[in-house]
Amino acid sequence: MKKILLDDMILTKDLPTAAGSKMLDGYMSLFDATVVEKLTAAGFEIGGKVPVGEMAIDLVGETCYAGATHTAAAAKALKNDTVSGVIAFDVNGAPRRVAAQNDLIFLKPTYGTVSRYGTVPVACSGETVGVMANTVTDCRQVLTAIVGKDERDGTMHADALTYDLAMDMAKPAKKVAILKMAADAEVTAKIEAAKAEMAANGIEITEIESAELMAAKTAWNILMCAELCNNVSRYDGIKYGYRTKNYKTIDELYTNSRTEAFGDLLKTAILFGSDVLSTKNYMAKYDKALRIRRVIAEVFAKLFANADAVLMPACSKMAYTDADSAFEENKYTAPASITGLPAVVAGGVQLIGPAFADSALLDLAKILVKEGK
Amino acid sequence: MKFETVIGLEVHVEMATASKIFCSCSAKFGAEQNDHVCPACCGMPGMLPIVNKKVVDLGMTAGMMLNCHINRTTTFDKKSYYYPDLPCSYQTTQWFAPVAVNGTVEIETANGKKAIRIKQIHMEEDAGKLVHDDWTDTSLVDFNRTSVPLIEIVSQPDLSSAEEVVAYLERLRSLLRFAKVSDCRMEQGSMRCDVNLSVRPEGSDKLGVRTEMKNMNSLSAIVRAIEYETARHIDAIENGTEELVQETRRWDDVKGKSFAMRNKETAGDYRYFPDPNVMPIVIDDAWYDSVKASLPEFPEVKKARYTTELGLSDYDANLLTDSRALCDCFEAALAVCGSAKEAANWLISDCMNLLNRRQMTADQLTVNGTALGQLIKLVADGKVGRGNAKKILEAMFEADLDPAKYAEENGYIVSNDTGLIEKVIKEAIAADPKAVADFKGGKEKALMALFGKCMKQLKGNCDPQVLRTLLIDEINKA
Amino acid sequence: MDKNTLLSLEKVNQLSLTDAQRDAVLAFFAKQEEDMAALNAIDTSNVERMVHVMPILTVVREDVEKKLFTRDELQKGAPETMDGYWQVPRLVE
Repeated sequence: MKKILLDDMILTKDLPTAAGSKMLDGYMSLFDATVVEKLTAAGFEIGGKVPVGEMAIDLVGETCYAGATHTAAAAKALKNDTVSGVIAFDVNGAPRRVAAQNDLIFLKPTYGTVSRYGTVPVACSGETVGVMANTVTDCRQVLTAIVGKDERDGTMHADALTYDLAMDMAKPAKKVAILKMAADAEVTAKIEAAKAEMAANGIEITEIESAELMAAKTAWNILMCAELCNNVSRYDGIKYGYRTKNYKTIDELYTNSRTEAFGDLLKTAILFGSDVLSTKNYMAKYDKALRIRRVIAEVFAKLFANADAVLMPACSKMAYTDADSAFEENKYTAPASITGLPAVVAGGVQLIGPAFADSALLDLAKILVKEGK
Repeated sequence: MKFETVIGLEVHVEMATASKIFCSCSAKFGAEQNDHVCPACCGMPGMLPIVNKKVVDLGMTAGMMLNCHINRTTTFDKKSYYYPDLPCSYQTTQWFAPVAVNGTVEIETANGKKAIRIKQIHMEEDAGKLVHDDWTDTSLVDFNRTSVPLIEIVSQPDLSSAEEVVAYLERLRSLLRFAKVSDCRMEQGSMRCDVNLSVRPEGSDKLGVRTEMKNMNSLSAIVRAIEYETARHIDAIENGTEELVQETRRWDDVKGKSFAMRNKETAGDYRYFPDPNVMPIVIDDAWYDSVKASLPEFPEVKKARYTTELGLSDYDANLLTDSRALCDCFEAALAVCGSAKEAANWLISDCMNLLNRRQMTADQLTVNGTALGQLIKLVADGKVGRGNAKKILEAMFEADLDPAKYAEENGYIVSNDTGLIEKVIKEAIAADPKAVADFKGGKEKALMALFGKCMKQLKGNCDPQVLRTLLIDEINKA
Repeated sequence: MDKNTLLSLEKVNQLSLTDAQRDAVLAFFAKQEEDMAALNAIDTSNVERMVHVMPILTVVREDVEKKLFTRDELQKGAPETMDGYWQVPRLVE
């Protein structure tokens, strides 16, 4: 049977789901995520869980309370060919970074095509269940099993809009726009290799720059942290999960439980998210970011009038250190996160396409990694 | 100095739906603690909100009943604060685009008619309930009420006395019950009212310091709270007894005083933002029109029609139009039996009696109006005796049944067999010669005794007029 | 963002930071504030806000009641319960 791993943002009733947080250490969900049901129905075996950074927002380091690493576990299992795919929740681009730095395939599908029912909510307006795999063919196969409307997720497209992923697109891509972004030599080399491969396949390449797409990071930080702040406010030590031993009053119960159980990065995100939603800052920060989101979506729409996809790095370098910041390095991942557009990582680079062009992106990915050649 | 009170109300009404607003848990009142709860409404991660369509229907209905403009695109937002009865630490409500805005409600008091402006009506989820346990000195959390759908009706500060507030609340209650938005039972908390009150010198156009009072569980408590709070404000202004601050206060009806609330719910910034998981709800013409078409006549319009067109007494019309269920049943019965007077009588005396015996309110009447009309017709046509008809009605309280069929199955059809009737009469006369003698001697009552015996023997299945005539004939012969 | 505002933010969010954490958070806020320049450079006065990334409208369900889990199941992982209630320190009203 084909084995699949799930990252620890996907709720399962038979395995604990901690979302990388001491707050949810040992948490047993009463139900399976829709993707789990769909995978099982399609004949996949759930092979276990992959730890994630706390609430999956850390895309540089490993802020999982248990110390285990997303990168290592997922990448190793795939590299050793023990599983055919990893289901990973793309909140801030962490799985795209992992795929880029480990030479794997990852598809973040079009928002609203894969059910989020049964995922730990963080930044609901942009987060998406995605698939990491060794090959584009594997990725497509797993994705085919999990796409489709689910009545329990109110943000999904009608079935009529769900593309047929089982088929390679009849219309191959002809034009790709390359977004110029700073990155180190290794990443730049990957971009160059991708360009060469596309050119060899008769794809026309144009170079573009965009101040708006560069602003995606800051806008996404605002939206993501605000939604995160609100979503993780449910973890209060009352109903389930971690409760401090050190309390007498309800405020001590709340504050000590949350202070003891949450990591530094999450605390920072909570405080920042709360601040941008305050009456004082709402218009200047949160509302502004919502408008920037539309500006970015419109920039992409214009680009897609002349190109089938946008090519850009998924990370600044091939390995991050503690000095790198999750809210800085997401400048490569935020443009697709904030717009909900599909993004594929292959050959160490990232391709972003218009909504529902997921299959076309996978075709392009195949060219980049010379799959089937 | 003379003062005037300026009052605005925030009225929360629990909507009459079977399930909660964002999850499918039961919204019914009165279950055992935490019995109507699921992962979504106890704050567990993973479930996503799906809006209950009936909530939007009822939100629109309320808006239309209160002459509001309906926002054809309405959205949900999240409001954040920590309190143990709020399992997600946020409440999903409507902040930016509520379902209805800018309405009016006309009230009538001893001072005449007055229009109270409605600022907005928004849909939201209710919070849970806390029970305080003295033995363990803890608070206990029950999430049954969490996510039960509410509408909050926010008035402009157009009210100026407790009397007006009562008239306003009674009017809201009548309209919302009539439109089946809610049962509006204050004692069960399905209608709750927060009072925003300030006091200013008469004629001044500057508003005084405003306080918000919560926790009044009855109209009389609201009246007491308003009177107390008004006096407190005036005292503070005139005598400097205390400094008034804008705050939320809890009414203690036992102590007859209001107290500043210290709980967290009243503190801080709610940090509203649009809920990314709930897509905008667009009310197209078909949806709008279907809700519009379902609106009932206003109770006073119905009442006028009942008296002028149908010839009911003011008393009967008043009783019927107190409850939408009575009106619906009455109108359905009338359509079948054709007699407004008869239909009204059956409802006001017989049905109300049966309801009272069951300790139910008029709104809980479930008798099928069409069937009631058929029953009334059976009696009018002389096919079923009135006594037996009452028995059939009682059975109709338990089950939706066809009265004619039921009458037949249970032997309640009036017999036209004069032979049988004469036989029964003869037996009765033979068995009670004293009664015969008494009647002949001028004692009218003696006839009734014989009549009753015969009717009993005939199981009520005899036209009383026929029986009476035949009985007198037979006595005279004897 | 200054320290006092941060302290009130901590309170609102039921968190209590150490001074070292506060310094790091203040630095983070400063960096984000600096980055706001890139957003403010883009004129959005005629741009509508975009809450939802895809044009999906009016997702509603019928008013049908369904029970998914029992109280015992829901309270299995609860830190403290009593008689079917979740239990917390007493609240003063």
